[in-house]
Amino acid sequence: MKKQNVRTLSLILCMFSYLLVGAAVFDALESESESARKRILEQKRNGMKKRYRFTDEDYREIEKVVLQTEPHRAGRQWKFAGSFYFAITVITTIGYGHAAPGTDAGKVFCMFYAVLGIPLTLVMFQSLGERMNTFVRYLLWKIKECLGMRKKEVSMENMVLVGFLSCISTLCIGAAVFSHFEGWTFFHAYYYCFITLTTIGFGDFVALQKKEDLQEKTPYVAFSFMYILVGLTVIGAFLNLVVLRFLTMNSEDERRDAEEQDRTNLIPLAMDDQEDMQRQRPSKAKPRIGSLWSCMCYRYQNCDSPAPSHHEHSSVYFNSISYKVNGISLSTRDNTALSSPGSRLSPNCCSMREYLRNRRKSV
Amino acid sequence: MKRQNVRTLALIVCTFTYLLVGAAVFDVLESKQETSQKKKLDDRKDELMNKYNLSNDNFDELEGVVLQLKPHKAGVQWKFAGSFYFAITVITTIGYGHAAPSTNGGKVFCMFYALLGIPLTLVMFQSLGERINTFVKYLLHHIKKCLKMQRADVSMANMVTIGFFSCISTLCIGAAAFSHYEDWSFFHAYYYCFITLTTIGFGDYVALQKDQALQNNPQYVAFSFIYILTGLTVIGAFLNLVVLRFMTMNAEDEKRDAEHRAMFTRTRQASSMRSPVDPPATAASAGRGFRNVYAEVLHFQSMCSCLWYKSREKLQYSIPMIIPRDISTSDSCVDQSDSSSGRFPEPRFNGCVCHMQQRSAISSVSTGPPSLSAFRGFMKRRRSV
Repeated sequence: MKKQNVRTLSLILCMFSYLLVGAAVFDALESESESARKRILEQKRNGMKKRYRFTDEDYREIEKVVLQTEPHRAGRQWKFAGSFYFAITVITTIGYGHAAPGTDAGKVFCMFYAVLGIPLTLVMFQSLGERMNTFVRYLLWKIKECLGMRKKEVSMENMVLVGFLSCISTLCIGAAVFSHFEGWTFFHAYYYCFITLTTIGFGDFVALQKKEDLQEKTPYVAFSFMYILVGLTVIGAFLNLVVLRFLTMNSEDERRDAEEQDRTNLIPLAMDDQEDMQRQRPSKAKPRIGSLWSCMCYRYQNCDSPAPSHHEHSSVYFNSISYKVNGISLSTRDNTALSSPGSRLSPNCCSMREYLRNRRKSV
Repeated sequence: MKRQNVRTLALIVCTFTYLLVGAAVFDVLESKQETSQKKKLDDRKDELMNKYNLSNDNFDELEGVVLQLKPHKAGVQWKFAGSFYFAITVITTIGYGHAAPSTNGGKVFCMFYALLGIPLTLVMFQSLGERINTFVKYLLHHIKKCLKMQRADVSMANMVTIGFFSCISTLCIGAAAFSHYEDWSFFHAYYYCFITLTTIGFGDYVALQKDQALQNNPQYVAFSFIYILTGLTVIGAFLNLVVLRFMTMNAEDEKRDAEHRAMFTRTRQASSMRSPVDPPATAASAGRGFRNVYAEVLHFQSMCSCLWYKSREKLQYSIPMIIPRDISTSDSCVDQSDSSSGRFPEPRFNGCVCHMQQRSAISSVSTGPPSLSAFRGFMKRRRSV
């Protein structure tokens, strides 16, 4: 079976097993506490109903009012600061839900806003993350140089270590600040930062929800927004370093397979030329040129590049290079190690044109 | 300024502008309704407090109980079905929040669970999405052939149209199903599906929360889970088609720049080598010839002749007798190149592929001119000769 299919199937299996395992563990951890809590709360509720002599209908009414008032308790959610907060939770896909559009028009705009905003944000965070990784790599290299170390190259392990430590420190800094401003324990604040920066965003803990913080504590509001965006960049940089290459694996293999097929198609051409060469040794240059030429033709067709303009230059070019270059057998392709997912190198058709122009001049 | 930096700065500015515009529009759309709703609710609350002679403290207490009971109203959340639902919302980063771990142990496990699960899920959805795209491309190609169309190849526009329509239909199917089971309007169900499949997951609408559905209605539960996972795959396939290439742009440019730098360094080396120096008599012509060709080869890298050489390489192994000795690359060269996979530290010549303007929908990465290890192989040949 093709490598990509095997990979995809095993990933699906992995994910399902992971879900099953997770479900079992969460069940074990939370079920009992849930039923205990439910019992206690229901007792309390019944006690209150009796005390205040609520009928069932009355209680349902109160319940409705309370549930609907809930978002309002945290202050004005849709003034500019609150809307900005909401917009952040939409395009970063955090989606706390502490405030959600109530009007239908708001819902419609929210959907269109997300359709454009989410890809923009994804690309932006990856772009900025890659810049950060490059800068960190440069810094590390300079540091290694300054320390007079023998091997100055920055390895993948170095980068992963630095990335991991940055993520942990980002979480800790956020935890410290939010636990101070929101009155949470350090652990709950850390949990909040983690859930936010992984864009899960449960909404069980939400910053800026203490009475009127959004409207009054502007420096804290600005810090929260910056923290979320910068934190997401740091996480994005780490993902760019570690995970992005795996997202393109199947496409890479697919392309490699396509190229293998192309080469297999080209062998018959070369074979014919080889037989020609055997028979016409004196004029060995021509058939070789011919097969080189056919290679070029074929390639240019695939390229969609302006092939016709090259035709007249090529024969001159071939004559000069001819058999001397035949000696080169080029190495097989493989993925380069760092940063970007293993990329296919491709000749720059523009530089080719330039080169041919230069060749003609020299001849 | 470097292209990557300009691109990154432009993206940052774009995103901030987008946020500001969004905030302004949401403010306009929602603020008024918020104030009026708040006023209504406050009035209603006062009424109720008067009716039942509740003090503020009493009402706060009542409020606390009601809010805490909210998740329990929707049924048992942490039995296996509910936990599975929760696990899905964690690793797909939807995160409704309809149920969230209350124990500290649950919170800790949740964090570790997400740490491993989220990358796994990202890779899985992209992998499966790519397979789906490839399959759709194949199908479309055959359909075009059957319909005897002139151009049987599948363009990017075709793929994007199909992807877009698949997304819309996925959302509509979900909207129909959930509006039926959850008793929402079609629009609200569509909104729910959209918010879920983009993994925003507000939690204002959550499926499987009515009438103890998690425990009592296993078919609906199964449908919901499958819908969420399949829907995310369809969206993932569309993202793989359209967005993924932009996420690797900076890295590719960076690599291209590195290779250009390497190429220029070697060109300088080559031109310095070309300066007239009397070669030792024994290797006179060979040396000069070698230097000339060396320079040629340096400029040769854009040529796709490697393809020809690779095909000859294949011939060497499959049909050894066809290639005459004297005009072929010496076998040793081929052998050496093949066995030298570990020896060349420079970026390898990855095969000549003109894929920069590839029409394939699934292509994403391509970089600049391959750097040269070709001349290394050539040097080996010289030694063997």
